[in-house]
Amino acid sequence: MSKALMQLSGLSKRYPEGDTERVVLDGCDLDIRQGEALAIVGPSGSGKSTLLNLIGAMEVPDQGALWFASEDLARLSERARTLFRRRHLGFIFQQLNLVPTLTVLENLLLPLELNGTLDADGRRHALALLERVGLQGRDASFPEHLSGGERQRVAVARALVHGPGLLLADEPTGSLDRETASVVLGLFDELRREQGMTAVLATHASEVAAKADRSLELRAGRLQEVAPA
Amino acid sequence: MMLRRASLRYHLRQPWQAALAVLGVALGVAVVVAVQLANTSAERAFQRSAEALQGEATHRVSAGTAGLDEALYTELRRAGIRPCAPVVAGYVNAPGGDPLRLLGVDPWAELGVRDAVASAALEVDAGRWLSRGGMAVLFKPEAERLGLGAGDLLPVEAGGRRHELEVAAVADPPDELTAEGLRNTVVVDLATAQAVLGRLGRLDRIDLVIPDGEAGAAVLEQVKARLPEGAVLKEAGEGAAALDEMTAAFRLNLTAFSLLALLVGALLIYNAVSFSVVQRRPLLGRLRALGVARGQLFRGIVAEGVLLGTLGTLAGLPLGFALADLLLDLVTRTISDLYFVLSVRSVTPAPGVLAMAAALGVLVSGVASAGPAWEAATVSPRTALERASLEAKARRLAGPLGIAGLALGGLGAALLWGYGGGIVAGFAGIFALLVGAALIVPWAVRQLAVALARPAGALVGTPGRMAARGVASGLSRSGVAAVALVVAVTAVIGVSVMIDSFRTSLTTWLDSTLSADIYVRAPAQTGETPPPLPEGLAAELAAVPGVTGVGTSRRLRAPSEYGEIRLRAFDHGPEGDAGIVYKDRTAQAWADYRAGEAVYITEPFAAHHGLAVGDTVAFRTPEGERRMPVAAVVRDYATSQGAVYVSRTFYAESWGDGVINGVAVYAEPGADLEALIGALRQAAQGQGQALQFRSDAEIRARSLAVFDRTFAVTRVLQLLAAIVAAAGVFGALLALALERTGEVAVLRALGLTPWQVWGLELSRTGLLGLMAGVLAVPPGLLLAAALTGVINERAFGWSLQLSVDPALLAKAVALAAVAALVAGLYPAYRAARVAPAEAMREDG
Repeated sequence: MSKALMQLSGLSKRYPEGDTERVVLDGCDLDIRQGEALAIVGPSGSGKSTLLNLIGAMEVPDQGALWFASEDLARLSERARTLFRRRHLGFIFQQLNLVPTLTVLENLLLPLELNGTLDADGRRHALALLERVGLQGRDASFPEHLSGGERQRVAVARALVHGPGLLLADEPTGSLDRETASVVLGLFDELRREQGMTAVLATHASEVAAKADRSLELRAGRLQEVAPA
Repeated sequence: MMLRRASLRYHLRQPWQAALAVLGVALGVAVVVAVQLANTSAERAFQRSAEALQGEATHRVSAGTAGLDEALYTELRRAGIRPCAPVVAGYVNAPGGDPLRLLGVDPWAELGVRDAVASAALEVDAGRWLSRGGMAVLFKPEAERLGLGAGDLLPVEAGGRRHELEVAAVADPPDELTAEGLRNTVVVDLATAQAVLGRLGRLDRIDLVIPDGEAGAAVLEQVKARLPEGAVLKEAGEGAAALDEMTAAFRLNLTAFSLLALLVGALLIYNAVSFSVVQRRPLLGRLRALGVARGQLFRGIVAEGVLLGTLGTLAGLPLGFALADLLLDLVTRTISDLYFVLSVRSVTPAPGVLAMAAALGVLVSGVASAGPAWEAATVSPRTALERASLEAKARRLAGPLGIAGLALGGLGAALLWGYGGGIVAGFAGIFALLVGAALIVPWAVRQLAVALARPAGALVGTPGRMAARGVASGLSRSGVAAVALVVAVTAVIGVSVMIDSFRTSLTTWLDSTLSADIYVRAPAQTGETPPPLPEGLAAELAAVPGVTGVGTSRRLRAPSEYGEIRLRAFDHGPEGDAGIVYKDRTAQAWADYRAGEAVYITEPFAAHHGLAVGDTVAFRTPEGERRMPVAAVVRDYATSQGAVYVSRTFYAESWGDGVINGVAVYAEPGADLEALIGALRQAAQGQGQALQFRSDAEIRARSLAVFDRTFAVTRVLQLLAAIVAAAGVFGALLALALERTGEVAVLRALGLTPWQVWGLELSRTGLLGLMAGVLAVPPGLLLAAALTGVINERAFGWSLQLSVDPALLAKAVALAAVAALVAGLYPAYRAARVAPAEAMREDG
């Protein structure tokens, strides 16, 4: 068994709801293994996105720890968490993926620039990725001129461009039709495998979960292993 | 009902947005109210004063500064012409700061003309009036202000001489109106007024009450038959009307500025309503899908705008009242500096002004919200106001709007420079120019932003590119912010360049015209002719060692075919016409003028009366009518009513007196002027009259100080317009920041630190401000050209040299950038604080 890239232990998260609190995560434990594709499934509102936001260091848990390379993300400063995201993560969201004021290519170059690794090689790499996702020749287009599927393909390329250790995808095909979703998902899986990246996908789509190496269901704030079909 | 409820709840949930719209209208309405109230209060104070002094008089006889021989009064009374009241009036300095109006009357003759003055004067018994001089009657408010009672002494100073008046009685004005009209007035007998004001044996005017009809016509004929040369009979209200007209252009200028503030306020309403529409796009779309008709949606949104406008108007009215107090002081001071002594103690509520401003505030709000309402009502339910579709629409509209703006600007230019309309046409031209410029702004902002994206990217990388493109892509919002800024900065540039040009022209004129080194005159109030100087004074001063020569001047008001005009009789001294700045002249101008065969007129005089070189002006002199050719039109910024220059030779021939009221002293080169002033003072001692000795530098400094005070009110209004614009920018930027929450969340997720987000937002804001500043330069310069070349000439008759200081333009551009940056601080802070997870959750 490969070693854990990230370890979540006793993770809890609550949100205020009127005068009371809603417990979204209630002591979740999880090892995310190096190179695996892990699907988090569950109905809407079960806390999948919250879990992904915690793994992505966009939020901090109320209790528990997230260990990544001997550092507890829960205890990092805002700035340190930002730098963690910048260096180690690639994101794909359901919507709102691309920066509307940047062209397709610029969207891809942004993570490289943020990491200070934008050079001619980086640019070539980005163009090659664009070609891989079937968007060659669209590098100068703005997101508003792309279809939903094209935008998600750009998002996949951008999530991979800087070679992050961990890919996070929150309902990556939620806004796409079945056919387009299948294309995007296929690309995502293919590229991830090629580059040997770890991925965590939050989804309620069974076809997305089917592409994963293992699936966990989030129910009543806790994670449960789902037996392979 | 449900629609209204939904709309109300939306605004309750977004209170800052509604508050900003309300603030914009409140400020706009407040400025309009303040300016109008200050204007009407000043005007009303002047009217009340004129009415109180006019009393029941229907006609008056006068003869300009020279005045009338008091024998004329005796003659008119002997002829049975009654009521008939002689007046000697002027301003004196008194303790407490404000000048007092000394009203010299015959107490008994006042009955039937000015009963309030008569009853005040007759509180002192006849015996005392007849037996003693130097007595005064004060009205109660003045007595209380000065802390004086009957029997106290009131020291006054006029024409450099000090006098003591004995307060013989303190009278109660019969009613409020009279009290207001007679504010700052002290009543004395004729002889006392003549002594204090240095007009022995002379009367300023004789007021008459002449009945209508044939009987009255016969009386008028009787009066005319007895008038000496140089005296004129006119209707009593004419003088007040002329004085009122004097300040009309000044007041119109202020009104135009107040409307500018309201225009910027309207942009704020537009912005707020349009943002509220964009924010509710899913709701509006759903409502359309549910079957809400376009008209319902349109009416609902306009009603919202009108409601916000009404709230703003309600807040603006009291705010305007408070602001009017500040402006009133500035307006009164300017009128007192430039035209005549005016005392206004408080702002008078004018229901008409309040109603007009309220109607304007509500109407402008309705009109401003009609655009966004139309936008909301006309899109299909499916695409209902998606941000992208709105932006696409904004981009599509930018071009046609720009063309409309060009057309409107062209119309404005035609109104300004195409033909010689009046001042109202001039202001209409300026308005068209401003609105035209505003319409071009969104298109120009987009072009500039797109063009700047590449260099900005090269300079600071992706954030630079994003900043530039962010301005272009959020055109529906950044366009409005830029328009508000451009309008305000255009006004700043236009008015600043105009003031600067005016100041430069004035300085150049002062440099030329102040060719002597020291100027001597007796003190006088604004609008009053300085009192005569002692005979022989010029010769005495000329004999002082170090003096190379002297020139003299006589300033007076004299009757002419154009009514009472300002006349300047000069003996130009050793420098000849070196101090005169010609605008146009005949080849022989100076020789003809010096020989007393021609006169010069100032630019405003030429403009007001449509005169040019070669025309003639007829004077009513004691020697009969004298018609003189105009040999030159000269620049003169001393008075906007204009004046006629005549040579001393012509004056002596026509008016037959040797009176002078100013001496210009020329010193040896390199002379110590302070020491020379000391020597001149020494030489003038013993004349019994306090004199002012001022060096050319001091006069220049004082003139420029008055100039700066004059434009203080303009600067205040300019500042207010800029504040309204900054509020508009703040609102637009906050709206942009809120709309971009999702985008910022992605950036944060990708690894942008809050500081980087802050920097990005501020670069976008700064860039927008910078672009607005740059875009404001061309319309600003056009506005300056219109104000200097058209408005000033049409309003005052002055032609000014347009002088543009590049530093001033740079400052204005910097001001726009800084204003935008300051306005953008909070929105940027909000953007930087976006919690990415939360934003994603909300948007998902």
